[in-house]
Amino acid sequence: MSQGITDAPSAPLVDPDTDQSITDVEPVAIARPIDETAPPALAVRELGVQYNLRFGKNTRMRTSFRNALRREQSDRTFWALRNATFTVHRGESVGVIGPNGAGKSTLLLVLAGIITPSEGVVEVNGHISTLLSLQAGFDQDLSGLDNIALAGALMGIPHDTMQRITPDVIEFADLGKFIDAPLKTYSSGMRARLGFSIATAVDPDILLLDEVLQTGDEVFREKSRQRIISVLQAAKAVVLVTHDMTWVTEFCTRALLIEDGRVALDGAPEEVVRVHREHSQARRAARREAIDRMRRGEIAIDAADLRRLEEPKGRGSRRSAE
Amino acid sequence: MQIASDAPATFRSSADRPGAMALLVTAVREALSRQRLIRYLVRAEIKKKGTDTVLGNVWWVLDPLVSLSVYVFVFGTVFARNQQDFAVFLIAAMIPFKWFTGTLSDAVSSVTANGSLIKQIQFPKIVLPLVVNGSGLMNLLVGFGVLLGFVIVLYPAHLSTMLLLFPVIAIIQGVMMLGFSFFLAAATVFYRDVGIVIGHLLRLLFYVAPILWSFEAAGGRGSLIRNAVGDEFFTILRYNPVAVLLETFRTITYGVPLPDGGWRHATLADLEWVGLGAVLLMSIAILVLGTIFFKRLEPQFAKVL
Repeated sequence: MSQGITDAPSAPLVDPDTDQSITDVEPVAIARPIDETAPPALAVRELGVQYNLRFGKNTRMRTSFRNALRREQSDRTFWALRNATFTVHRGESVGVIGPNGAGKSTLLLVLAGIITPSEGVVEVNGHISTLLSLQAGFDQDLSGLDNIALAGALMGIPHDTMQRITPDVIEFADLGKFIDAPLKTYSSGMRARLGFSIATAVDPDILLLDEVLQTGDEVFREKSRQRIISVLQAAKAVVLVTHDMTWVTEFCTRALLIEDGRVALDGAPEEVVRVHREHSQARRAARREAIDRMRRGEIAIDAADLRRLEEPKGRGSRRSAE
Repeated sequence: MQIASDAPATFRSSADRPGAMALLVTAVREALSRQRLIRYLVRAEIKKKGTDTVLGNVWWVLDPLVSLSVYVFVFGTVFARNQQDFAVFLIAAMIPFKWFTGTLSDAVSSVTANGSLIKQIQFPKIVLPLVVNGSGLMNLLVGFGVLLGFVIVLYPAHLSTMLLLFPVIAIIQGVMMLGFSFFLAAATVFYRDVGIVIGHLLRLLFYVAPILWSFEAAGGRGSLIRNAVGDEFFTILRYNPVAVLLETFRTITYGVPLPDGGWRHATLADLEWVGLGAVLLMSIAILVLGTIFFKRLEPQFAKVL
């Protein structure tokens, strides 16, 4: 694999929010037969997702009653996503970028049908393949082989079809003898490989990927690049959330910038990545400035300010910050 | 090439809340269309039970045998009961009771234990309590096998054609358990307290249901209890739907216990048909309401877990 697209530098471009080293690469031309007249693979209209902070992972009667007695409603709900409207056609690959905790993963969860919208509509035309947080795996006590079958059963794929594609999945995931060992013995890279392998082998109409491309070694990254390209060439729709800007500029036909639960920008990947970088730099500068002023004692801070200054680390921590 | 799938190829999700009837129809459709998934998960559950143990699947038979032996020893020998063939008397009610408690305590955590699955892939969550009830049914089948072997080998006198009613009574209890499972599985997602409360309730049920004693017989134990708790509370115990089922299981397996500690073969007339009919109706109501309750809360699961 030394020809064409694989010649692209393999050093990943990293999210400007988290790292500085960024180099530019030539975008790779991929045949993308987009049929604008056919019904879109995904149609999202005025989508909003509201989280209720009253119920968390460990809600107990007492906290729940206490919260019910409190009046300040605004403190206990927040919109992870609001007023999102866009469509994705077959053959399009849409990169979703934005700062941590902006609502990217929530968006993917709604598209996958895993969470239902609090307002607005999501219409999905075609089979979706979503292995979102691949690190978790499906069942830690079952072997890799059993997990492949489990994934197939969950996606509703017939047994004989699964038997036909299982050798491919195993070969692509390249797990060796670990395929018969329980998932709990796997390294995170192995899990990611297995998950990606399953998600792409089932020949979905719509492929949703969340941060999967960062894991795995160079060889596997290269293999997954090839896979995604072939998915795109088969005129399937791909939506991927990533902090790796190379992927967005290289393989995406479009990009969405999500900021504060809103679609801030929807357009050509290069343009969206550029705006994202500018915004990130502005945010970093503001943060640095504020910290400097604090150090110099120009502004007094309290705990609440400190929290605001700390970068939000995604939905999970924000929810528990209540 | 398109891969066929049991999952719908298109779907629309919105903030609209479907009505109770629509929820019920969806639930039935999901359960029917995802039978393969349910079977697969039940098999996986069984497979897991066998792993990490030396004896593997032997435990399926050994487990009920050992626990029944303990109960027979403790309550038949240590607390010397004068009920004739007490071992049969006890396990006739014990096996369906174990089925009840085992399934319900698994059902409580059926959704919460699969939190990572629910957040990774969209599938009808209704299959989770169904899987627990499916593997519970496997447990019952093994238990019934043990019971049957036990009676045939050691107490052949108790065998009667009444035992053919076992599946009928089991179906009534199964419907009730499924309904309870839906309630418990969904409620636990929001209130983890449910699991703790249910653990205590099931332990209490072990003593207030006719397992170690029966209402009519066993040397007046029934009347001892009546004296202890009072007439009104005793009536409640009497009409406890689980009690009705357990007494019926005992009647068809052991026979009718007599006040002098003996027993006689049961006939169809010995069964509480009105009570069973009422329990069946109640079980169906619990199942319908439980299904609606579960489906109503299902959209919130992924957000809360």
